[in-house]
Amino acid sequence: MNMLKKILVVDDEELVRNYVRRALSSRGYDVAAAVDGASAMAVIEKEDFDLAICDLKMPDLRGEEVIRRLKARRPLTRVIVITGSVSDILNPIFPGLAVEGFLIKPFGINEIRDMVEKILKGRS
Amino acid sequence: MDHKANILVVDDEAPVSEMISAALSDQGYKVSIAFNGEECVKKISGDKFDLVILDIMMPGMDGIAALGEIKKLDPEVEVIMATGHGTMGTAIQSMRKGAFDYLHKPFEIKELVAVVEKALEKRKFNDITKAIFSTIKSEELLRIIIDSAVRILKADEALLVLLDAAGQPYIAVSEGLNGEPRKTSRLAASSRILERLADDKGASVVLIEDPRKDAQFADIEHIGEVKFALLLPLIEDNRLIGLININRMQLDEYFNENDLQRAKIFASLVSLALRNANLYKQLQETQSQLIQAEKMSALGQLAGGLAHEINNPLSGILGLTQLVLEKADAGAQSCQDLKDIEKAVFRCKKIISSLLSFARQEKTRLEPVNINEVIEETLVLCARQMELKHITIVKEFGPELPPVNGDFQQLMQVFLNLFTNARDAMPDGGAITIRTQLSAPAPDKKELLAVSLADTGAGIPPEILDRVFDPFFTTKPAGKGTGLGLSVCLGIINKHNGAILAKSEPGKGSVFTLYLPV
Repeated sequence: MNMLKKILVVDDEELVRNYVRRALSSRGYDVAAAVDGASAMAVIEKEDFDLAICDLKMPDLRGEEVIRRLKARRPLTRVIVITGSVSDILNPIFPGLAVEGFLIKPFGINEIRDMVEKILKGRS
Repeated sequence: MDHKANILVVDDEAPVSEMISAALSDQGYKVSIAFNGEECVKKISGDKFDLVILDIMMPGMDGIAALGEIKKLDPEVEVIMATGHGTMGTAIQSMRKGAFDYLHKPFEIKELVAVVEKALEKRKFNDITKAIFSTIKSEELLRIIIDSAVRILKADEALLVLLDAAGQPYIAVSEGLNGEPRKTSRLAASSRILERLADDKGASVVLIEDPRKDAQFADIEHIGEVKFALLLPLIEDNRLIGLININRMQLDEYFNENDLQRAKIFASLVSLALRNANLYKQLQETQSQLIQAEKMSALGQLAGGLAHEINNPLSGILGLTQLVLEKADAGAQSCQDLKDIEKAVFRCKKIISSLLSFARQEKTRLEPVNINEVIEETLVLCARQMELKHITIVKEFGPELPPVNGDFQQLMQVFLNLFTNARDAMPDGGAITIRTQLSAPAPDKKELLAVSLADTGAGIPPEILDRVFDPFFTTKPAGKGTGLGLSVCLGIINKHNGAILAKSEPGKGSVFTLYLPV
């Protein structure tokens, strides 16, 4: 059965959640959104996602921690990091997180669509 | 004397005060008279006096009470007490209260004049000391020094000669020296004295009478104008840093014992003041470097935070614009507008990223680099400077060296600092030999690449060799070196897990060796 691929967008910035969700829904993905780390964890407890798109700087939990817990709970969920600062990517703990991709803000709708498509290709 | 001293004579007996007044007026002083303590205090509070001659026994406010009032109003005015019979004890009391000296009545004019001159001399020295230590700004200080020299030693010409970074004497400031030929002539004489003094550290003041007849100076043009020359060496930390040359042009204006005494005191005051000014300058430089470093770090933090804050909404603007753009009619004006918004976002993105790269704290990025290439690249930057300073570069590069794990830019910085130091150690030219080779393995069996940079300069005295890597340690003159070059090198090499060693033999040169893990 060909189910819709499920994606979770985690970002405290409403504008970003809004356009990423719409850019991907219009490509046929089933997109949910979480406004911070705690609500992301709550959603993940209940549902399984093919992909999480996660900001690093959020008011409650740091994105790194969200990703770590997510990977522990749902090892098959892929992760794209989105962040406003390059230096986050250079953070020495970052490589240990083993994420599938990252994008530096500001990024356009086609950049995120292309990356999502590439990562989810071949995943049923 | 450039201003006539202002003297106040206080005595209740009119014949006495008038006699003193007449005698001092004869000497060219400006004299005022007061007939009692109250009047004296009133005059002091109204006018500026250099000296007061004060009778002790007066009706109403006596001399001792008046002295107290005077010192309250003007602590710098000198006071000479005039004591009559039986007031010896009071005279001593007055000395304790700040009088300069006392005269026994009746006294002779000669005595009076001598003690007045002494008091005024002290007063003048006080003024000059105050002036010299009133500023730590070099330019102001030099001017004050030379003006004071003229004033205190009654000079027709005065010049302050200092040594520049290369040890060459130059005239820092002068007074009464008109025209280049004269300046050249006096500088030549001063330079010869400086050479002589460099060998004879004990000398304090040099007096030359009629330099035209002195074999040492006879060949210097225009030197015959000078009849008497006084040269005061300036010493800082046991090091000769220059001299003050004071000249008199008239045959009968010889320098007497008093002048020599004054000159010695003056020279030591000047040395001290110059040292203060130098320390102040160094302090300022260090401070501005720290402020600069602080600023960059603050800017880096600010830019990092700012970038994140702005990039979030900017990302929203970009994404939403593109979503609307997807559904817009290709030919519509609103479609063009949206494309302009999109372009503006990309422009903002570019601005933020250049701000970030400008402000980012340097991070070391290690990648395999060919050390010989790093050196060649650095030499491209400084070859011309070396040529100008007559410095030959000898390259002894090891063939087929393995790459080291390093940051190309930062290693270039290290070599640039080392080349610059070597250049400054060889003001008269020389050679820099740079050798790269595989070194014997370290105790932990890791292979190391060794790069040594040897100069033929003055060398580093052994007592300071272990301090050369300390931040802010420098042997270069103020304003020339920051004292950060080698500490930056050490920091960079440490980040490369390497080591840097300094060896030196005074008179033969220095060798800096870097060890970098392969």
